[in-house]
Amino acid sequence: MNAPIYLDHSATTPVHPEVLEAMLPFFGPRFGNPSSVHRWGREARTAVADARERIARCLGAQPDEVSFVSCGTEGDNLAILGTWRAARGTPRAAVVTTPIEHKAILGAVHQAAREGAVERILTVDANGVVESDSFDALVLPDVAVCSVMWVNNETGTMQSVPELGARARDRGVVFHTDAVQAFGKVKIDATTQAFDLLTISGHKIGAPKGIGAVYVRRGTQVEPILHGGSQERGRRSGTENVAYCVGLARAAEIADAERDVEVARLERLRDELEAVFLREIPGAVIHARSGPRAPHIVNVSFPDTDSDSMLMALDLAGIAASAGSACQSGSTTPSHVLSAIGVRPDLAACAVRFSLGSLTTDDAIDRAGRMIPALVAKARGLTGVPA
Amino acid sequence: MLVAMSGGVDSSVAAAVLVARGYAVVGVTMKLFCHGDAVPDRPCCSLDSMADAARVCAQLGVPHYVLNLEPAFGHDVIDDFVSEYARGRTPIPCVRCNTFTKFRDLVHRADTIDAPYVATGHYARATAGSLFRGRDATKDQSYFLWGIERAVVGRLLLPIGELTKTETRARARALGLAVADKVESQDICFVPDGDHVAVVERRLGAQTPALLPGPFVTVDGRVVGTHNGFARYTVGQRRGLPGGAHEPLFVVAIRPEDRAVVIGPRRELLGHAVVAREINWLVDAPPPVGATVDVQVRHRARSVPADVVRVTREEIELALHEPVAAIAPGQSLVLYDGDRVLGGGVIEAAPSMRAPLPVLAA
Repeated sequence: MNAPIYLDHSATTPVHPEVLEAMLPFFGPRFGNPSSVHRWGREARTAVADARERIARCLGAQPDEVSFVSCGTEGDNLAILGTWRAARGTPRAAVVTTPIEHKAILGAVHQAAREGAVERILTVDANGVVESDSFDALVLPDVAVCSVMWVNNETGTMQSVPELGARARDRGVVFHTDAVQAFGKVKIDATTQAFDLLTISGHKIGAPKGIGAVYVRRGTQVEPILHGGSQERGRRSGTENVAYCVGLARAAEIADAERDVEVARLERLRDELEAVFLREIPGAVIHARSGPRAPHIVNVSFPDTDSDSMLMALDLAGIAASAGSACQSGSTTPSHVLSAIGVRPDLAACAVRFSLGSLTTDDAIDRAGRMIPALVAKARGLTGVPA
Repeated sequence: MLVAMSGGVDSSVAAAVLVARGYAVVGVTMKLFCHGDAVPDRPCCSLDSMADAARVCAQLGVPHYVLNLEPAFGHDVIDDFVSEYARGRTPIPCVRCNTFTKFRDLVHRADTIDAPYVATGHYARATAGSLFRGRDATKDQSYFLWGIERAVVGRLLLPIGELTKTETRARARALGLAVADKVESQDICFVPDGDHVAVVERRLGAQTPALLPGPFVTVDGRVVGTHNGFARYTVGQRRGLPGGAHEPLFVVAIRPEDRAVVIGPRRELLGHAVVAREINWLVDAPPPVGATVDVQVRHRARSVPADVVRVTREEIELALHEPVAAIAPGQSLVLYDGDRVLGGGVIEAAPSMRAPLPVLAA
């Protein structure tokens, strides 16, 4: 087999060598607990504060507006449940989101509903873009928090978060955005953009799994989920993961610095891959293609195949991709995102997501473009069926 | 080659044997049904089994995938299972799963990855395009495999068919497989706790005729009681029948037209002939009229000699050399020549078992 081709960057990314290097001392001599008074503690405290500052700079934020969390899911839960619980007992009893959010948001919103919140789901168009009328109708002054993901992890659909955030602010509604897939792909600037809460995750941008951060605008009331030693200004108790905080900061800086160049590069490679699909694979349907979108995700259905079989065939050919939401079993279930944007069930059942990133070279796209049409033809039973 | 792995000891050892023989093995676990997230202590789609299969593959150093065949399985196997009970018959879903799910749909997935062979952990043997009973007579599963398309038999590898269950477990232990001492499942996989009535009720509702009360009728037409749904009964069953008779009573037939469960003494249960439909042959020349073959009408039943009385493309009728008890419509009729599977079909009736049943008086 040739060198494998990793086209699953929306699932996770490799740790950037500079990130690893930045973290290593904290697994060795600089092992201190940031809460300790002695020099080891001081050193760790300084490292975390420095990491916080650097991440704040990438977000146009103040350092005290950045809290470290263990992952994107925790950040999303803190944003939704923390805001809803802080508003409990006030007239703001509704929680609003979109049907195409990550399960971390949808799960947290459902939990808020179990705790008494009124759950409202915005409608989206065929590209996954939130419909303006629906936003106006649902984001009313009785809303505790409205969450709209900046870039969708399955289709790449990009929302006009600055505009939606501004409209929410006009109604006094706290606005959160899951920017896990957006960071490094779109310019994020809390000084000019009207979001109140924002989540990022390390392992999507070259930091390890197990670290994320939440931006909380000054003045936004968020009730913590974890209680204890009042780390992170009481927002998130628990000893800071010093090495990973440092790693996240380094990764964020690199992604931020490379953003414009990387976006242009990924767009070019994505367009190349899509052109091959549309040219070489009869009936291929690329989802959410005509709306605004991030440069790194291609969600495509190959009719007369099924997602699981395609992923198996792709993997055995050395190509990593994914489909739908991974079920615990390792199988896939039809994507709630595709169904929400009106994709027919038979097309959703044969959708595959390719996501590009740091490992995606011209050569990789070239080879993938040659291999994938042949694999689809085989899966359709059109060629090479052994007797 | 593609190996269908359930996470149990048989398919795990099958995979291990084939890896040892030098085949490029790809392990696949089929996701066939889902009990749903609503039941927390019964993990969705038997998660533990999939994890077991994945672990075995990791240990063998081969890739493992889970393929979702739920929609097709629901249609081909579960829907049929339910409608057979609704028709007063006794289905064997394992046969249809083999015929349609494993050895048609899964074989198609094997084509997708250029796998020339498909292997399973069945106790049966496939040699040179022919199918045979497994060496371990007590574990033989060839009865469930008669419906496979003949061309596929040549692509089958059934390494466990050469072993006894004891040998299989010993191999698993020798290989250090964690599943070596796993308890064998007896239930039908998608029927939790063996409660098939619950499956029928979930699909058709509690008011479906098969679950409504109806009469217990004797073979001579007397109503002797009321049952609570004929789907709860199967031909040959003794449990749940009215008492007070001077000899043991059995279900001898189910009549969905008037929801009757027909009961009678053991002699009424004996069939002297059998008719089957949906015939599939696994040999070039099906046995002609007059030929004597061995037939088996139930899993684990002893095979008995029988003469072919009538055979068409769709239907076969055989005269049994000795009477066989409890031949149930919906079960499989499998024809053997010694250990070799000739073909089979779905039992329609055991016509000479008794005279046509009298219509229940109004």
